[in-house]
Amino acid sequence: MTDARRAVEAVWRLESAAVVGALTRVVRDVGLAEELAQDALVAALAQWPRAGVPDNPAAWLVTTAKRRAVDHLRRSQRFERAKEHLVRPDQVAGSDQDERDGPEQDDALRLVLLTCHPVLPTEQRVALTLRLAAGLSTAEIARAFLTTEQRVAQRVAAAKEALAGVPVEVPRDASDRVAAALEVVYLTFNEGYSATAGDDLVRLDLVREALRLGRLLAALAPREPEAHGLVALMEVQASRSAARTDATGAPVALHEQNRGRWDRLLIRRGFAALLRARDLGRPPGPYVLQAAIAVCHAQAATAEDTDWARIAGLYDALARLLPTPVVRLNQAVAVGMARGPAAGLDLVDRLRAEPSLRDYHPLPVVRADLLARLDRPAEARVEFERAAALTDNAAEREFLLRRAADLPAQDRPTLGASAEAFLARTDLDPTTLRSYGQTLGRVRRALGDAHAVDAITAGDLARVFDLAWSGAAAKTWNRHRSAVRTFCAWARLPDLAADIDRRPETRHRVPPLPPEQVALLWTLDVPVRELALWRMLHESGAPVRTVLALDVEQLDLDDRRARVGAGWVSWRAATARLLAELLAGRETGPVFRSRRGAGRLSYERAESLFKQATKALDPAGLTLGLLRR
Amino acid sequence: MRFLMMSMADDSTPDEALMVEMGRFVEELSAAGVLLATGGLDPAAIEVRSVGDEITVTDGPFTEAKEAVGGFALVEVGSVAEAVELTRRFRRIVGDGKSVIQQVFGP
Repeated sequence: MTDARRAVEAVWRLESAAVVGALTRVVRDVGLAEELAQDALVAALAQWPRAGVPDNPAAWLVTTAKRRAVDHLRRSQRFERAKEHLVRPDQVAGSDQDERDGPEQDDALRLVLLTCHPVLPTEQRVALTLRLAAGLSTAEIARAFLTTEQRVAQRVAAAKEALAGVPVEVPRDASDRVAAALEVVYLTFNEGYSATAGDDLVRLDLVREALRLGRLLAALAPREPEAHGLVALMEVQASRSAARTDATGAPVALHEQNRGRWDRLLIRRGFAALLRARDLGRPPGPYVLQAAIAVCHAQAATAEDTDWARIAGLYDALARLLPTPVVRLNQAVAVGMARGPAAGLDLVDRLRAEPSLRDYHPLPVVRADLLARLDRPAEARVEFERAAALTDNAAEREFLLRRAADLPAQDRPTLGASAEAFLARTDLDPTTLRSYGQTLGRVRRALGDAHAVDAITAGDLARVFDLAWSGAAAKTWNRHRSAVRTFCAWARLPDLAADIDRRPETRHRVPPLPPEQVALLWTLDVPVRELALWRMLHESGAPVRTVLALDVEQLDLDDRRARVGAGWVSWRAATARLLAELLAGRETGPVFRSRRGAGRLSYERAESLFKQATKALDPAGLTLGLLRR
Repeated sequence: MRFLMMSMADDSTPDEALMVEMGRFVEELSAAGVLLATGGLDPAAIEVRSVGDEITVTDGPFTEAKEAVGGFALVEVGSVAEAVELTRRFRRIVGDGKSVIQQVFGP
């Protein structure tokens, strides 16, 4: 019996895309299609051990599921609309062979494009695609993504529900949809190849599924060069799996890998896929360019043989198409190798103002390498030490500190030492020191502890401020600015905050609602609870959360007030009348209760109700805070 | 998991229908991303044997043709059961005979 189960599972893993795809065409609902396919699998489990596995198991499953689909559709109103797509049940038996060619491929493509539909959030797309198109169980997906089965099941269910109303047809121009599917495949691959979590640096099951889905997509959409490009990229990257980690599981950098351990078979397959992309004769897209770069590395017999000029050219093209900071940093590395360290450094320095790379340790590593090659060892050392402080990986930190130690140190006072001495002052209170510590901590991380303190320029500091606090409140910005000025004065440095402007601190208050609008509020047709709440907020001027937190026991109805902590919330006649109506003699519990049960009306709910009710006054709706006078 | 599927040679020459069906099967498996490499083998083999320091090279053929490998397929699948299922389908197409499946160690 378990043998039969294994055989059925194996068939399902190989055929799920074709089976669910064919059924989706018939019932036009991917969720229902999967249910029908699962029913057919149960039937297979009962029948195959006795009758043997059929010659064409996929067709058998489709036929069986279609019979069930007919039953299902008969019972539903969709029957009339859908019956032209269906084979009559009495004709089904002999129809296996007619289905072998064209439609099956289209079915699989339609399914993958559907499960990767852009209306779905990415994690739902990934879960549904692996479930339906790759035939993985929820348990397998959960293991692969280090999450719970329940969460995967929820994602799959939510995705199926979201797709219920989406047309299953592939649009005439499917490039966008193919691109969305390629993204899902690449995400899956990356999750497996550079595992972000878990004990293994590479998770081969995900790599295998991604490769399989990618190869399938490339076969289904052979006119899409990016599909072949992605396959090429994945094949070549996967070819290095065995060489990427050493015996202890630690990562090995590309130029230090034992190239003999690269899988030549996958490399050759990658070459072939890249050639197929090129043969389509269209301008290369991001996947094709990345694949070409990977192929360049794969073609070099040793790290020294790498064709950096070509790789730099490819990165130039990639950075034009996809100018992300990480791509531009890689471009800088390639340019540094191909056209000399000065050209590379020029590109890297342009990235130093990039907020997303603020604490990204590869940036100082690349800079350090280039500075060392430019014979600027002191600066290189600062950058190596800074990179070491930024990385979370112990092995890497050790490696970077070793590289720093190999370079001569400069003998002038360092930023780190000066900052430590400054923060050790005893004449300041602890709060001030903590605040200064925050400011200097950020400056030290940005410039490096080993940076000579007298070499810091006002421009350096302006850059740090822009990166770290450009989005902060004026008050925060000014606090950091004065901390720097105090430090400079103490360290007898010129005013390094000279290029940092003080920001005006304005306390802007939202103007309260004009009286004529307030008057309109009382005429709205809303329940007494809302009216009482709004009146009380308006008359008391108390904060919204305070008023919502009131219990009946706190109220002094005669004196029209309630004790809250050390103060009072007080109201007038209009509120008093509405409160009497709202409480109707009730003596305990929250004053403002939720509609159901005896719970308290939440702040979010109160705001949302107010916003809804005041749409007539202001199309965007108003907030409760405006009621306070 | 990678598996090497080896099929023993037989004396019959394949007819055109079988070639077409085989071609379609290979194409389908390549498209599905399962079949990594495949090929037929020349029955004329060369044997290289070492005993101690001595290496002897002899031309084939094998004495028992039915035990010689006539073709191979390298597949990448998730389980033994999948490899068996693929082989089962292959045997359906080629008819009587024998295939052997062995897992390839490594990633």
